[in-house]
Amino acid sequence: MLNILTVCGAGLGSSFACQMSVEAVLKELGVEAKLDHTDISSVSGQKADIILSGKNFEKQFERITYDCPAIFLERLVDKNEIREKLTPVLKDLGVL
Amino acid sequence: MVVLNFIINNILTQAAVVIGLIACLGLALQKKSAGTVASGTLKTMLGFLVLSAGSSVIQSSLTFFGTAFNAAFHMKEGAVVASIEAINGQAMSDLGLGGEIAITLAGIFVVNVILARVTKFKYIFLTGQALLWEATLCVVFAWFTGLRGPMLIIIGSIVGGIFATLMPALAQPIVRQITGTDDIALGHLCTVGYIVSALVAKVTGDKSKSAEDIQLPKSLEFLQDTYLSVMVVMIPFYLITAAFAGAEACAPFCGNTNHIVYAFLQALQFVTGLYVLMAGVRMLLAEIVPAFQGISMKLVPNSRPALDCPVLFPYAPNSVILGFVFTTIGSLIGMLISPMFGAFVIPGVMSNFFAGGTAGIFANQMGGRRGVVTGCIAHGIFIMILPAMLSPMLAQIGFVNVTCTDVDTIITGFFFMLIKSVVGLF
Repeated sequence: MLNILTVCGAGLGSSFACQMSVEAVLKELGVEAKLDHTDISSVSGQKADIILSGKNFEKQFERITYDCPAIFLERLVDKNEIREKLTPVLKDLGVL
Repeated sequence: MVVLNFIINNILTQAAVVIGLIACLGLALQKKSAGTVASGTLKTMLGFLVLSAGSSVIQSSLTFFGTAFNAAFHMKEGAVVASIEAINGQAMSDLGLGGEIAITLAGIFVVNVILARVTKFKYIFLTGQALLWEATLCVVFAWFTGLRGPMLIIIGSIVGGIFATLMPALAQPIVRQITGTDDIALGHLCTVGYIVSALVAKVTGDKSKSAEDIQLPKSLEFLQDTYLSVMVVMIPFYLITAAFAGAEACAPFCGNTNHIVYAFLQALQFVTGLYVLMAGVRMLLAEIVPAFQGISMKLVPNSRPALDCPVLFPYAPNSVILGFVFTTIGSLIGMLISPMFGAFVIPGVMSNFFAGGTAGIFANQMGGRRGVVTGCIAHGIFIMILPAMLSPMLAQIGFVNVTCTDVDTIITGFFFMLIKSVVGLF
């Protein structure tokens, strides 16, 4: 199953809020996935197919090794932005 | 009767079980499958035990720090580290209030939904950990004022529910300006501090010169990494303290290890404990929050989710970093004057980062780059004075070497004390 990881500073609040928005978008698109949220220090140790995080973390991600597409959002809980940016990635991965 | 007593005395008093039952109820109300209910319930219980494990790591590190600090500086009041996470950990495991806190957390959800439904404040508070801290303070202070049993939980839930509904409302006028929409609200119980920062920035700043137009040095970007920032601040505090305390005073803790090396490792232990505790909180809330969201959005039409503060961070990333830096500067000033207010307080780095970053965004919105400097220094001092004032009471309750951070939860504590003294008059 597709693994999607949302990321923020402490891996508690905003990544969780983002995860719930992503979940709603996936439901609309009819895509099944396993979602989880974490903090930026733990990302490199995690297995994921897609990562979503805030625009403010984009530069931090340059220092981390991860081998999957990463999406950086202007607004973490905006379903329209999530749908717009997530759809092409899902198509690339062949799940949509 | 024997069976019932066994259940009440041995099972329902176990916080892990109570929390598991709440998650179980939430999952069942959403009509999840039996397998999901079982796994979610178990994971929630595991989360609580991970949280407790993290708490004991923090506490052993703080015990060393507290002893070394007293040996080094001979301060009458002693030193306390500001960490709401550690307060929660100690209250839930050592003070044995975990079960009450878990039920009050659920009670705050209920009161929040009722208030959002019947009043014009349509805010549903979705930041689980902030509510957990709030539930902690409500229970601890309700307990301190002499309440027990069902009354403790009912009063705690009502007070916590009022804070969870009104604090997002207090911040919303400025949040609306920051996000340009009215869709989301801020659910982070440091709101009074943000308002202080915004007011100081408005009076002293110049809104037209935004902090977002400055090019910040790249070297500051590592500050976005939360645990790294905590280490960068805690290591010097531990090293300086151990150096002043000397080898002899540290010997009971470090054995044959050099005391400076030991202090360095203990500073890392503090961060380790924090990391583990937060992982526990994440597991603990992973099932409860979506359940609450699903239920509340159905029950309260037109409600606005009040979300954790980093949701605002992408709107003004420079202000976040500057807010952290200047709040930290303010908190160091606050640290030096804190003994006048009750205790020598070591700044809480987690709070400096999250509350400081958000205070930076508020200050920039109201007073531009100059506002960020003045507003956040004022914010840093403010968020040190309040914990200092609360810490004698926390010590009396039985907390070891810690005090609270998030200012709205501290005000909750004062609120209970105020009620107690008013009621005491009659």
